[in-house]
Amino acid sequence: MLLQASQITKRFGHRMVLNGINLNLQSGEAVTIFGPNGAGKTTLIQILSTLIKPTSGTLKIEGADALAETLRVRPSLGLVVHEPLAYLEFSPYENLKFFGRFYRLDGLDQRIADLLDEVQLTPYAHEPVKIFSRGMIQRFMIAKALIHDPTVLLFDEPFSGLDLAARQFVLKRIDQERARGKGIILTTHNTELGYHTGSRFHFLLNGQIEAVAEKEDIGLEALSREYENRLKQ
Amino acid sequence: MEAFRQIGWLIHKDLALQFRTKDMLALIIVFSVLVVLIFCFAFGPIFPEKLEERGKLAASVLWATFLFAGIITLNRSFDIERVNGALHALRLTGVDASYFYLSKVVSIFVFLILLEIVVTPIALQFLDVLTVLPVALQEQLPWLLLKLIGVLAIGTLGFCAVGVIISGISTNTHGKESLLSVILLPLTFPVIMAGAKCTVSLLITGGLGGNFWISVLVVYSLVFLASSYLLFEFVVEG
Repeated sequence: MLLQASQITKRFGHRMVLNGINLNLQSGEAVTIFGPNGAGKTTLIQILSTLIKPTSGTLKIEGADALAETLRVRPSLGLVVHEPLAYLEFSPYENLKFFGRFYRLDGLDQRIADLLDEVQLTPYAHEPVKIFSRGMIQRFMIAKALIHDPTVLLFDEPFSGLDLAARQFVLKRIDQERARGKGIILTTHNTELGYHTGSRFHFLLNGQIEAVAEKEDIGLEALSREYENRLKQ
Repeated sequence: MEAFRQIGWLIHKDLALQFRTKDMLALIIVFSVLVVLIFCFAFGPIFPEKLEERGKLAASVLWATFLFAGIITLNRSFDIERVNGALHALRLTGVDASYFYLSKVVSIFVFLILLEIVVTPIALQFLDVLTVLPVALQEQLPWLLLKLIGVLAIGTLGFCAVGVIISGISTNTHGKESLLSVILLPLTFPVIMAGAKCTVSLLITGGLGGNFWISVLVVYSLVFLASSYLLFEFVVEG
């Protein structure tokens, strides 16, 4: 089991944002979590990525207690969120070099060159990230999330603000990483893109998560209908 | 050894970001010179005749200027980490929070010391301190300036030691700039007081006038450096 979250709750003051979340992730699996704005998707991703602590519950990453051994488990995680998670004054090369060093990687320069090539940013390798379009930043983010070859990839609304070509790129890249045996958790409110990406689906509504189905058991239309019905309830 | 390497990478990153655009350095130097000029206009053009009073004025101006410049630098330095989630990315690498703390102290210290080296002679000239110094001190002016920068350096270290941890606390709060000033100013009171006393003594006598105030400065800096180093993980990780 790559990731195991049990009875995760999160309160901000009196407001209960997440309530008793249970979630497992295996190698080669892509879990899509659907939820409307304000459902707690970002909070859940932040907890799973160890950036914030849950109010209660346990989180295990590759068998280790992520809440107690936080620094040790973090190199197993790759994160793609709305923010670039980078220094915009630096170029992609400088950012990848800076962050990559902390993972003590061998052949870092070659790894950076390969990744920039894969995300089609080689011509912009030495341009500051601040001049990049949204799509370019998202491609850079994917390269950055993969620099240390993590086993778990967490995506928070990775398609928002992207044009068709950029979405296709992200979809393809997620499929490739899943095929390489990585575990992927992705949140979105877009049922179509979420369906194409995931192998297992969950709804996050009113702070609670519920398993819906495996991909082979449900079609896109049925999933969309189910999601709409749940939103109306 | 790995710790030193990681701290080195973090310092290099901070200094590269600070000096890449040069806008921050230029802005802070202009700001500091303007603060000095405002004091000059407020108290000049005829300054107190007694060297002791002029020394007190110069020390007050210098420390007030560097305090304001330091607060702006702290804000800017943590903004770079907060905006666009760079600090989150850094945390995800598994780097120890205390390394991050030390690197911030060093990089902000270097930045402020450079500023002080530029602004101190300008301030002393504008405040007309150099002309009223005793002849013996005028003959040893480079040595006097060196000692002055030394005192400013110890004070700046103390300021950075406490400033970085308070910036870390306030950076994710609403009204962070105001909160930083409100919490930081009372905490830096011993640094400013001891630093100003040492500066006055240096400008009047060329010496520190005993060990008391310089000891306060050193002890304060070391205590805050050590305690903040140990506590910074709780600030970053919550």
